[in-house]
Amino acid sequence: MTDEDAARRRSRNLVVRVWDAPTRWVHVLIIVLIGLAWWTESHDQMDWHIRIGCALLGVVLFRLAWGVFGGATARFASFVRGPKTVVRYAGNLLRGGGSDDAGIGHNPMGGWSVMALLGVMVVEIGVGLFCVDVDGLESGPLADRVSFQAGRTAAHWHTVLFDILLALIALHLCAIAFYAIVRRDNLIGPTVTGRKRLTVTAGEGAVEPVGLARSGSAIRLITSAAVAAGIAVWAAYGFKL
Amino acid sequence: MAGIAGAIRGGWRGAIAATAVLALAAAASAAAADVASVVQARQAHFKEIGKAAKAMSEQLKSPMPAVPVIQAAVKQIDALAPQLPSWFPAGSGPLSGVKTGAKVEIWNKSDEFKHDAAAFADAAHKLDVIAAGGDLAAIRAQAQAMGQTCKSCHETFRQRDD
Repeated sequence: MTDEDAARRRSRNLVVRVWDAPTRWVHVLIIVLIGLAWWTESHDQMDWHIRIGCALLGVVLFRLAWGVFGGATARFASFVRGPKTVVRYAGNLLRGGGSDDAGIGHNPMGGWSVMALLGVMVVEIGVGLFCVDVDGLESGPLADRVSFQAGRTAAHWHTVLFDILLALIALHLCAIAFYAIVRRDNLIGPTVTGRKRLTVTAGEGAVEPVGLARSGSAIRLITSAAVAAGIAVWAAYGFKL
Repeated sequence: MAGIAGAIRGGWRGAIAATAVLALAAAASAAAADVASVVQARQAHFKEIGKAAKAMSEQLKSPMPAVPVIQAAVKQIDALAPQLPSWFPAGSGPLSGVKTGAKVEIWNKSDEFKHDAAAFADAAHKLDVIAAGGDLAAIRAQAQAMGQTCKSCHETFRQRDD
């Protein structure tokens, strides 16, 4: 029996909860709604494009609330790390070494990817509310607050920001492919099931999964969802009383 | 100056040639300036139409549309629409080097372009007449029909910039 076999025998598989259900639903909804927003815009279905944009606003606002009130791995405080940590993590990654943490939740680089994606989406949708099309006939729910010219400028930035969002999504997908191919780490599975299998070597004691993915409470979930949905619907009606 | 220098070096023939080159260059730069002002005026006209269309469609979307606002906006569009083909004189396209969203097809397929422009002018006039009646459902239907004439023409003849 080699040492390696012995080590494998001592190791045990641990299945831990990584992502709570609301966080996973937000992820699915964002993918679906961005796809639909893209499709409706390129097929001249602007009424639907605007409704979908407002729905996406609701989802993103909920995610921001969940970043404060949600489960442990959903909270910004748990994954937004300082530049030193990010640089150290990137260095480790390039050298092919192990990561600093137990591999649960967003890693220090992924955390900033999430913040960038959410930030660009907030600005993209915010600008979208003011857009006017070239004919002056289609317009976002807040376009009546601005001039035709300002609405056209908003439409220009709405397009630029969408390209930036696409670039960030491409980076996101590349990172997933990198972890899958180079690191043999499947990130997609846990995104769907919420669970991740960790191989823990006995005696290593580095992993303490208890409480890591503690869910947010039901009352906070309902309140966050209701407020986000309310703002989204109100936005769709141009914030009119 | 070049003409005089040419006369000194190459005699009168050289002077005439040099003067002709200078005159052509001057004419070309004058033409470029003209095209720039044509494009600028054209864009200003389209923005006037866009502004009026925005004012109209905002009222149509509102729960309590102000009919006089719609009527004023539509009248403005109806006044501008028939002028549209005159905003595209020959030479004011993208080949002039001036930045424009106007595609070469406007001049290459000028019959189709004039046909589309006429469809817009007809739709705008019809909308003006209907708007005077004040029937919101009828105005909405015709506004949509006019919007289609904008879109179908832009599809072929306008470079998307946004």
